Amino acid sequence: MTEFKQRKLVIVGHVDHGKSTLLGRILMDFGKIPQEKIDKVSRTCQSRGIQLEPAFFLDALQEEQEQGISIDTTRVNFEFDGKRFLLIDAPGHLEFLKNMTSGASGAETGILVVDGYDGICSQTLRHLKILGVLGVANVVVVVNKMDKAGYSQSRFEEVAAEIRAHIEKEQKCLSVIPISALKGENLSQSAKELDWYKGLPLLAQLVEHTDAQCRLDSEEGAGEPFRMIVQDVYRFTDERYFAGRIVSGQISAGQKIFFSPSGKESTIAAIETFPATQKETAVKGDSVALRLKDQIFIERGEIISLPEESPEVNSEMEAKLVWLNSTALDWTQEYLLKIGTAEVTCRLEPAGNGGAVENIVNGDFVDVVIKTRTPVSFDRGNKGGVDKLVLCTTYETVACGSIKALSSHAGIKSAKSKNIVVESGFVRRQEHEHKHGHKGAVLWTTGLSGAGKSTLARALERRLFDDGYRVVVLDGDNLRSGICADLGFEPQDRSENIRRVAHMAKLFLNTGAVVITACISPYEKDRRMAEEIIGEEDFNELFIFCPVEVCQQRDPKGLYKKASGGQIKDLSGLNAPYQPPAKPKLRLDTSTVGIEAEVEAVMKLLHSKGIKPAPVGKEFVAGAKYNSGINKASQ
Amino acid sequence: MTDYLTHLEHESVFIIREAYKKIRNLGLLWSMGKDSTVLLHLVRKSFLGHVPIPLVHIDTSYKIPEMIQWRDQYVKDHGLRLIVGQNKAALDGGMGPDKGRLVCCGALKTQALLDTIKENNIGGLLLGIRRDEEGSRAKERVVSPRPEDGTWTYKDQVAEIWNHYNLHLPESVHMRVHPLLHWSELDVWEYIQREKLEIMPLYYSNADGKRYRSLGCWPCTGTIDSCATTLDAVVEEIRLTKTSERAGRAQDNVDAYAMQKLRSQGYM
Repeated sequence: MTEFKQRKLVIVGHVDHGKSTLLGRILMDFGKIPQEKIDKVSRTCQSRGIQLEPAFFLDALQEEQEQGISIDTTRVNFEFDGKRFLLIDAPGHLEFLKNMTSGASGAETGILVVDGYDGICSQTLRHLKILGVLGVANVVVVVNKMDKAGYSQSRFEEVAAEIRAHIEKEQKCLSVIPISALKGENLSQSAKELDWYKGLPLLAQLVEHTDAQCRLDSEEGAGEPFRMIVQDVYRFTDERYFAGRIVSGQISAGQKIFFSPSGKESTIAAIETFPATQKETAVKGDSVALRLKDQIFIERGEIISLPEESPEVNSEMEAKLVWLNSTALDWTQEYLLKIGTAEVTCRLEPAGNGGAVENIVNGDFVDVVIKTRTPVSFDRGNKGGVDKLVLCTTYETVACGSIKALSSHAGIKSAKSKNIVVESGFVRRQEHEHKHGHKGAVLWTTGLSGAGKSTLARALERRLFDDGYRVVVLDGDNLRSGICADLGFEPQDRSENIRRVAHMAKLFLNTGAVVITACISPYEKDRRMAEEIIGEEDFNELFIFCPVEVCQQRDPKGLYKKASGGQIKDLSGLNAPYQPPAKPKLRLDTSTVGIEAEVEAVMKLLHSKGIKPAPVGKEFVAGAKYNSGINKASQ
Repeated sequence: MTDYLTHLEHESVFIIREAYKKIRNLGLLWSMGKDSTVLLHLVRKSFLGHVPIPLVHIDTSYKIPEMIQWRDQYVKDHGLRLIVGQNKAALDGGMGPDKGRLVCCGALKTQALLDTIKENNIGGLLLGIRRDEEGSRAKERVVSPRPEDGTWTYKDQVAEIWNHYNLHLPESVHMRVHPLLHWSELDVWEYIQREKLEIMPLYYSNADGKRYRSLGCWPCTGTIDSCATTLDAVVEEIRLTKTSERAGRAQDNVDAYAMQKLRSQGYM
């Protein structure tokens, strides 16, 4: 019987050293290629006047066969000696490096193919190094085309010694094996032309070398720290399910769990499956849906662990990257970091270890410090396993890498000190909310000067206060006379102003308050930054709309008058940009709606999200009230 | 211990959940065949029995009639939402396999699919294609973005590293998501057997000793000789076969790169 676990190998190496030929030959020898496919490839080869090329079984694209190259990666299943193998073919050209990396990232063991005649070439070493970045530590080297190299033992030993010298320190070279892929020599059986080689043939060695990984897989995460990455939260019925994948360890119903980076805790009520049976335990690799005992708010991107072995939470991390794009790394640009299921905007800085930092392009390696806009959770080294990341521009993956070690300094975005460590363990937001009887939220107003943000904030504050809410107003002009007094109205100053207001709002939010901000916040990018700092669920964007002509008539602060007189050069909507929000939670046209109706509309929004104070004299029940409101809000 | 099919199942469920979270108006391209059947079951697995997305069927009007009957009955029995797409203009113009097999596939499948995507503002589709079906599918990614004209830029596909799929795309682009890409034909049958899934009777051998191994349009899809009248017998037959699955599909054999040509223009 075939064993359950699949042994995943990727075949890498320089262009034309015979990667696809090796794989095609193995498949052909083992009857894995249907006869009509062999016939089809034979016909194609004959019509080109070349001998049967086993690589064509894999290189199926017309351009690949015509030029005799592999453009893209593919993978095939293959059984040998009762073992289940996944063999991944990867292209060798530098231009197709992203394809090679896409293929190799699915592997546990690498087979590095080196041409015994030509010896080591540029992509041989690059591929070896990429396997290192991808965490593929075990490498089997095959010295191919021994027929062309005259089956020379001394040539083989020369190449073997050279490649051993280049194995990275985190990697292990399991063995070096002479073969001829084209002739099928020393693949499944020893070849008499290579009788000086005393080791087992390739396939037998592959079985041997993957046994340890296979045993480890069979343990299904036992003994590892538990990690589940949260993909989504479902609410198809009254129940809420937390869907995601276990990437490390195991978990059972009834266990206490911890969420990072939010720091929330809960207990697993059940591990749900379809058809309706419940599982007691779920293991590494499982896609699961958890039902929890408490109704807590969690979003995609969190990592679930046990409380005592939670992952790191930080906004800085050091990583080793391989760049996969022809556009060079830009140290001034923002990238999207994806790690686990989290996605967060970040910037890169050189790690400062003396490596090259100029013109990092496709195929280059670089050590960086990643600085994220908001803290993310991850693991360092291989412990826990959430340490693999990719960097994207809007539509493209431009780099991938592994987190090295927690960087020595930590802190939020622009912390200058190298000695700041984020503390935790204070009174939690849920406790504040429980005590005060209602959930917190941020109401972020945006609109032109004179549109009515402060007017609404004032009326709303009074109403919330009277209704028994804890409420805080952060008014733009007031803040600019104090905490933001050093800032002007240049785009970068406006951005810094929003960053500060967002962080202040977040501090109050964490005490369970309803926070109202009143800032023009004219730039979409800055509002998205605020949303990211505050959190999507708590951030309620209210577009206070009013035609600019009406604002000009109102002109409560005399700014429009000054602007038309030339005394102010950067009034949003007049002579500086104002970018209206695309999808605000509420849009209030203050030129037609009266203040009372505006306040009612916002109260309705809050109530629909379950943000209501507990009636006086009644005890607030966190779960029930909290949950019923959320159901409504997201339907 | 987790067996191999369960491993495949969990991987596919992860992909389906990623697509559902990230893609607006996701649909499931449903041909009623064995792969579509498994895919629909995996959608139910992903969403705890619910099917929160519509099924999309491209009806060329040349489908084997039993397929359409089975389709309508199944949708009715299970209360599913079905979108049927058809290139009526081409059919009115007399389009059929006699106009050339690839031309016909292009009009009645590819064009009908692209029109249906556009009309229904579909942001992405789950498709049951697998690597082991034929060479050009073997080179696919799990997530493959397609511009409005549906073309597949197979010479310059986006990187897809670990489980980080590229699901951010402009409005005009639709996504092809392939949760079964890593499954083999045998895996599909063994899974149908294990999960006891309802499957179309055309897959079983009839009184003449013939059955379909792959379902499609009647003018271009051949039967195979078989005595497999039960699911267990079909699984056993597939385990031992030496011929390929799509050997009965005429459009594949028009020329050496027929499927690549069809697929680069947006064929499924």
